[in-house]
Amino acid sequence: MKISLKWIKDYVDLKGISTKEIVDKLTMSGLEVEDVFDQNEAYKGFIVGFIEEKEKHPNADRLSVCKVNDGNESLQVICGAPNVEKGQKVVFAQIGTIIPKGNFEIKKAKIRGVESNGMICAEDELELSNDHSGIMVLDNKLKAGTSIIKALKLNDVILEIAITPNRPDALSHIGVARDLAAIFNRKLSIPKVNLKESKSNIKSAASIEILDTENCPRYSGRVIKNVTIKESPEWLKNRISSIGLRPRNNVVDITNFVMYECGQPLHAFDLKMLGGHKIVVQSTKKASVFTTLDSKERKLPAGSLMICDDKKPVAIAGVMGGENSEITNDTKNILIESAYFNPSSIRKTAKLLGLSTDASYRFERGTDPGNTVYAAERTAQLISELAGGEILSGTLDVYPNKIKEKKIKLRFNRIEKILGYKISNTKIKSILKKLGIKITSELKDAVNVTIPTYRPDVDREIDVIEEIARIAGYDNVPTVSRINVTLEVKHDETSFSNKVREYSNALGLSEMINNPLQPESFSKLTGIPIKIANPQNLDMEFLRTSLLPGALNIVSKNIKKGEKDLALFETGNVFNLNSETSKVSSFDDFKEEEKLIFVLTGEKIGREWYEGASAYDFYDLKGIVNSFINKLSLDYFTNDSYYSPGNSIYEYYFTRNYKNVVVGQGGKVSSTVLKQFDISQDVFCFVLDFNALKSIKAEKKQFFEPLKYPKVFRDFSFIFDTKIRFEEVRNFILQNSSNLLKDVTIFDIFESNDLGLNKKSMAFQLEYYDENRTLTEDEVEKDFLNLIKLVSKKFNAQLRGK
Amino acid sequence: MLLEKTEEVKKDFLKDLNSITDDSSLENIRIKYLGRNGIVSGLFDRLKEIPKEEKPEAGKNLNLLRNELTSKIEELKSSLGGGKQKGETELDLSLPGRKYCIGSKHILTQTLDEIKSIFRGMGFSVYTGPELESDYYNFEALNFPPDHPARDMQDTFFVSHDFLLRTHTSPVQIRTMEKMPPPVRTIMPGRVYRNEAVSARSYCMFHQVEGLYVDEDVTFAELKGTLVSFAHQFYGEDLKYRFRPSFFPFTEPSAEMDITCFICNGSGCKVCKHSGWLEILGCGMVDPNVFEYVNYDSEKYTGYAFGMGIERIAMLKYGITDIRVFFENDFRFLKQF
Repeated sequence: MKISLKWIKDYVDLKGISTKEIVDKLTMSGLEVEDVFDQNEAYKGFIVGFIEEKEKHPNADRLSVCKVNDGNESLQVICGAPNVEKGQKVVFAQIGTIIPKGNFEIKKAKIRGVESNGMICAEDELELSNDHSGIMVLDNKLKAGTSIIKALKLNDVILEIAITPNRPDALSHIGVARDLAAIFNRKLSIPKVNLKESKSNIKSAASIEILDTENCPRYSGRVIKNVTIKESPEWLKNRISSIGLRPRNNVVDITNFVMYECGQPLHAFDLKMLGGHKIVVQSTKKASVFTTLDSKERKLPAGSLMICDDKKPVAIAGVMGGENSEITNDTKNILIESAYFNPSSIRKTAKLLGLSTDASYRFERGTDPGNTVYAAERTAQLISELAGGEILSGTLDVYPNKIKEKKIKLRFNRIEKILGYKISNTKIKSILKKLGIKITSELKDAVNVTIPTYRPDVDREIDVIEEIARIAGYDNVPTVSRINVTLEVKHDETSFSNKVREYSNALGLSEMINNPLQPESFSKLTGIPIKIANPQNLDMEFLRTSLLPGALNIVSKNIKKGEKDLALFETGNVFNLNSETSKVSSFDDFKEEEKLIFVLTGEKIGREWYEGASAYDFYDLKGIVNSFINKLSLDYFTNDSYYSPGNSIYEYYFTRNYKNVVVGQGGKVSSTVLKQFDISQDVFCFVLDFNALKSIKAEKKQFFEPLKYPKVFRDFSFIFDTKIRFEEVRNFILQNSSNLLKDVTIFDIFESNDLGLNKKSMAFQLEYYDENRTLTEDEVEKDFLNLIKLVSKKFNAQLRGK
Repeated sequence: MLLEKTEEVKKDFLKDLNSITDDSSLENIRIKYLGRNGIVSGLFDRLKEIPKEEKPEAGKNLNLLRNELTSKIEELKSSLGGGKQKGETELDLSLPGRKYCIGSKHILTQTLDEIKSIFRGMGFSVYTGPELESDYYNFEALNFPPDHPARDMQDTFFVSHDFLLRTHTSPVQIRTMEKMPPPVRTIMPGRVYRNEAVSARSYCMFHQVEGLYVDEDVTFAELKGTLVSFAHQFYGEDLKYRFRPSFFPFTEPSAEMDITCFICNGSGCKVCKHSGWLEILGCGMVDPNVFEYVNYDSEKYTGYAFGMGIERIAMLKYGITDIRVFFENDFRFLKQF
């Protein structure tokens, strides 16, 4: 919210306090100043200019070539505004001036071939408003060459303050002034109202009725007759435009002024347009359509709170008035609305309409129910002063259930228990007083206080403690240099994923982090996806069902950038509905699971002096998976299965299983899937289930004494039919050997014409040892020879060599 | 007799050695003494001439002589080399080494690891929670009433009326407190989502670390001390800081912590929006309403909570100006850290 320092000084004396100090203290007490706009700085170099001549630009239809007098000389200036005319006084930016909007410097320039020596400005360029429809035309009495800081009294400092949702009381100049008064220990002065009322009573002119008192607890009104709608005086226009609003007419400007002064949104009705001169506040029973004063048709659901006359709605309560009753130039008699609405009702309506106004913004945060009459009277007084007319005597004020000030007991020791330091009782009491919190009685170790109605956020003792803490200053809370550490067992639920990342790194894989929001085409590929009800766009409409599509997307993007050789991993959560028909209405309707993916593509080794280029293949993937599982000490618990042909994702793949449950799966991604991602090189992926891995109870690590006796090795190779698989042979050998044989590994495999059609050679190394003794050559040889016989027979294999 | 001869041979050998200049002259000497028909071999032949009882002793002496001569020659050989410097290898050591590759953790993971280790050192546990959350955990139990403007502070992705993508890691506070009685001292890292337009400054998804400590006598002063210690450990010991009042529905009082902008040293720059300060985290004392939801006695226990965004921290620390690079996963970016 914009706050004018010049304006705020009407309510609190800030003499002797620098702008910097004001900004710092406001920020440090909870009203964060996000920006400071010092007009004295920003408008240096802007002067009143006089347009002596205007001609059409020779090379551009929409541009004019003007002669602008800057008080000294006549300068040629190009202007693109449609409203520029000879004889106008305008805001002129001289060469070297910095334009606030966009922060750029005006330089001598040629525009379509014609020289320009400055700029004639519109309001938006000065950040006075968003208006860029034309240049600002100034009062003709102003003298050319005068600085606009002086001429237009633009010597204010405007603060942009971020008001948190708990501080509706600070959404006005008096509200901010109240904090400043408390911070700097100055007096807050709220303008007094002195009404000159006419003899006729308001009751004869209008009436108010509330049918929905829950959503409209209070509605106050004043009536002013015979006003003259016209332009506001300079001072009011300046106030209004200093905070970025557009002056319209005296009555509308006054309602805005009072809202920004005291925080109460106001609305002025043309009394003539109110049927029966009546206001009825009620909630609609069915959906309806209503035209607001911005001439837009709004669809309202049943249950919307409306302001009506005796027949029809005339305003959407707390949001915006209607076109049918708005103030026009012909308006004579006015009814001023000053009401208190239930915040959540206004918020609901505003949200449904997608319409946030200055009024709804304040009502949905909570205005002061105790302030409606003051605001109505203040408005009435200003209207009678600036628009003439007579204020009818009396206020209409319907307030069936008065909202009482909250009573709270504040214990001094509780303040210390929360903050960790003692604030003196005197100081506490003085802070309370300055914030308008009344002490009703004092006890030995506590005070009873009542909270003013403008602080809806202060509800409990803890809220009062916060008020004391922020005014006393968070800086004054000590910073302890010692803490106690309790000795309960500390857990780290991320320790497993830490390990997983470290092992993946050690295997040469780099970590990626993907956005789990993705298009339907990705997430449908691998599961039953969950849809976002309010997505930003179709590319982020679904949650990922697997890490695979996101990973392939990254592979594709990298390849397009020329990064073709990738070794990646990711850990993250994936989301699947339990069935196609599920709706997410409980945690049982979907699964959120943590997964791990390995991705390999491109060349493992490029062309090197020691080795030719070689691409990643299935065995790299398998090796990485095996090393990973081995490092987790889970290899004794799991086994592999192989699938060729594969499934819809993989051309061929293998799974890692634990007790017949698949804990991981992956292989060569099928070309159909790769095509979807526009990838034309082989990609190998493996996806592991995190929780399954975590839940397999790894065997407790035990020290094994290294083998003391020598191992004995034997090699043999056979010619097999090509369809015989390595693992079949290995398992057969292990099952049919003596228990001295501990391992069988393959060290050579090849096919060649010399071996015969559909034949291949596999060479095995057999590893024999015993933990307790040295083996004799004889016993090994006996087993070895026996195995040769058995293997030859079983697989119809032919022993090679020897 | 043979013994004397041995000594003599040794003397001659040493004398001959003085004359050598290169490999080949050394080789000639080796052949002269140790060759198949060399002098030492000749001495061994003479063993048969001596009496049987002297044989072992003489044999032993000859062996010693042969070993001594051999090792002398080896020694000289390696010092001479074949025209090479002493100890020089035939390998071309200037060839590049074979490539071995260690992968990298994502820079966000590395940043989080650093934060985790600081808080682990101060006695914090680490807990996690789901990303697809219920309205109850994400808002209600954290004291965001329905239809309250505070909900506007966090633009939310919904999957149904009651389920949403968590907008902060704070729901893990509730989940953790539901699981155990005080004391609870834990950090809770995780991924969060906000329905905000994607730009250089904001992304629809990012990461946070939440902190929570509940016990008897936990104070705002301790919150300040703990976070200042964290900031000193993470950002450097000489930084300046400030705590200013703010608002979060689940803490009261609430604060935001700023540190001196380390890019401009507080003099004002683009990164700190000319304020000289950088906001690094939000924090506060746990609101008694939150304790109600998890059945903690708010008269007996007090607590603090804090939360920080990891992307923001990493961007500041490494000078990254566009948040989107974290999730583009350009391999060159990933390998940089």
